[in-house]
Amino acid sequence: MDLRFTETQEILKKAARDFLATECPKTLIRELEQGEMGYCPELWKKMAELGWMGLIIPEEYEGIGYTFQDLAVLLEEIGRNILPGPLIATLTSAFAILEAGTEEQKKELLPKVAQGELILTTALLEGDGVFDASGIAVKAAPKGDKFLINGTKLFVEMAHVADYILCVARTKDGTPPEKGITLFLVDSTTPGISWEVIPTTAEDKLCEVRFEDVNVPGKNVLGKIDEGWPIVEMMLRKGAIAKCAESIGAIQTCVEMTVAYAKERVQYERPIGAFQALQHKMADMWTAMETSRYLVYEAAWMESEGLPCAKEASMAKAYVNEVYKNVSKWSVRLHGAIATSADHDIPLYYRRSKAADIAYGGTDFHREIVAQKIGLV
Amino acid sequence: MDFSLTEEQKARRREFYDTCKELDKKKPPSLVGFEAIYELDECWEYNLSCAREFAKRGWLALAWPPEYDGRGDMMDKVLFAEARGYYGIPGVDIFGVQMLAPTLLQAASEEINREFLPPIARGEVMWCELWSEPNAGSDLATLSATAVRKGDEYIINGQKTWNTGAHRADWGFGVFKTDPSARKHHNMTFILLDMKTAGITVRPIPYLDGSAPYCEVYFDDAHVPARNIVGQEHEGWAVVNLLAGFERSGINEIMSMLRGLEQLVAYCNQTKRHGQPLARNPLIRNRLAELACELEAARALAYRVADLQNRNEMSLMDASAGKIFFSELGERFAFLATDILGPYGQVRTSRWAPLNGVWEKMFHEHFITTISMGTNEIQRNIIAWYGLGLPRMR
Repeated sequence: MDLRFTETQEILKKAARDFLATECPKTLIRELEQGEMGYCPELWKKMAELGWMGLIIPEEYEGIGYTFQDLAVLLEEIGRNILPGPLIATLTSAFAILEAGTEEQKKELLPKVAQGELILTTALLEGDGVFDASGIAVKAAPKGDKFLINGTKLFVEMAHVADYILCVARTKDGTPPEKGITLFLVDSTTPGISWEVIPTTAEDKLCEVRFEDVNVPGKNVLGKIDEGWPIVEMMLRKGAIAKCAESIGAIQTCVEMTVAYAKERVQYERPIGAFQALQHKMADMWTAMETSRYLVYEAAWMESEGLPCAKEASMAKAYVNEVYKNVSKWSVRLHGAIATSADHDIPLYYRRSKAADIAYGGTDFHREIVAQKIGLV
Repeated sequence: MDFSLTEEQKARRREFYDTCKELDKKKPPSLVGFEAIYELDECWEYNLSCAREFAKRGWLALAWPPEYDGRGDMMDKVLFAEARGYYGIPGVDIFGVQMLAPTLLQAASEEINREFLPPIARGEVMWCELWSEPNAGSDLATLSATAVRKGDEYIINGQKTWNTGAHRADWGFGVFKTDPSARKHHNMTFILLDMKTAGITVRPIPYLDGSAPYCEVYFDDAHVPARNIVGQEHEGWAVVNLLAGFERSGINEIMSMLRGLEQLVAYCNQTKRHGQPLARNPLIRNRLAELACELEAARALAYRVADLQNRNEMSLMDASAGKIFFSELGERFAFLATDILGPYGQVRTSRWAPLNGVWEKMFHEHFITTISMGTNEIQRNIIAWYGLGLPRMR
């Protein structure tokens, strides 16, 4: 056991911190919220040059071949700066290609992902808003050597700029609902696809994506027909841990900003940080951060080692969801009225805590997985 | 970052678990909760027999240096605590083995170590702590019990309180004011004393559930050899701080809760309400899952603290955060479990008590972890002042 970062991780961390400090100011984040794209293509290109998109892609597909844990370390830094963009969406989809793709699919797509030339996203949720297979009603019907996709997906992360949409569709009415699910790599320029950005708490460009008689060639099926659900479970698991790692960084910024402000803001002729009512709240925020941190590191380590960790990943997500919302909420409260201003940075974090909570499964979804894994019948 | 154990560590952990599992079979049914070992004779006897079993294997001297027949390292100590916590096995004296021995190794003279360490390792001498006083609790440095030097003896007078198991202990370690004229923090000495010394009176304090884990101890001209001190004379505060830093991961308590969760899950699977298992109730599923998440978070942080201690590093903040978290998790757990049991949640150990009344007991005992070893409010001060650098209270 050695819970320190490796040397590689320390270097990665420092490089990311320095890079983001100059390249990702809060002014840019506000611009991206207001703008249509939701990410900055020039910055995306620089991130690719640093190797971030290729981090978890093996060298044979022109990536760097680092571990999942290394990715978690990078995402923590990204989370500190709440860098917007489709990084986790792209990488989670890339994991699906890596795990279930044909050699041809991998060779075609993964090097481009590593170069920052392809943005990927996954279309999972529908009108029901649930993360389990019972919510999948979008149909893909075979038609010759093609499939015809029809239906509407919701909350698809940055589909409006994605080159490929990984569409989770129903190819057979299944009992249980996990049966009959197939994944399709859909070129987003295919006729019949239309989208609309949904206004959200974090202005993070989640999209409604409509599929109307969208033709997808059979070679774009990812994995086995009717047996795609385990790939979705893998993406939800990896995505959940990745989102948690990002959240840990954001939580840390909230704690640091609050402590710094409490030392400098004077009321009753002393810094407000001298009052125990505030001190103990900050101690609780710090404690919540540290308990989250090692839970997430443990899940990331297990994922890296290829150990079964559905339980730990869900534990981490269910726990960190609540910690991020609460710590950022308390950051606003301890700052006082100033942090309710749209110009203040803390609300950027508070609003993202809700987005982070929902992404890759909310608290109750993951608690139900935990309930099953601890043996409740 | 690597959470894995080496093959050797895994083998030792298996040995710790196997031994504790065997001892569990001999455990008296009356041993419920933390403190029954101090209260009931059969439980105290069981505690002593476990201590002898562990002593035989050298497990009471884990992470000690070879010159005192030590074996293993800090990580072994943590794995051993895990196994004992999981099976609820006593036999490792919190005060002698966990707190005093590592303190002696760092701060005591060789003469003291040669005299006091071997009986601890053999599981023969049981200790108690003599720190708090009626008017010196969290603010321990304002203590008033005195030890006046007279030749080669100290004459001790005053009162100590909240002394766990003092009525069972053979020896006690405490801090006493030895130089009333010196400034705070430089006026007390850390003294080891035989609890059979004339002039010492021990009285159990009835705890809120009618049991008596704590005692108060009165000193009335008790004569103690002046050589029985740890650290420098008048510099006992430094020893107090040193001792408070040992064995803080809380892994023992966390594993005990983990076993408790397993038992509660089994209870919910087997017990029917409204014609179906309690486990099918979505509210119960959600609340138990929430607790399981928190428990895993506590465990991961405990490993962080253990990993640091194993490298002779110490994060005061993480140790305090861990203590706050696992002890308050104990409160939540006690409330949740007694909620789930419904009317049976109020039944004391008896034929009507599910799981032998352990949750009813926890409803009382959780205060012991939140209040002892530095109250959680003091732990929050530590994080705020020493960790976050916020201004200290004056």
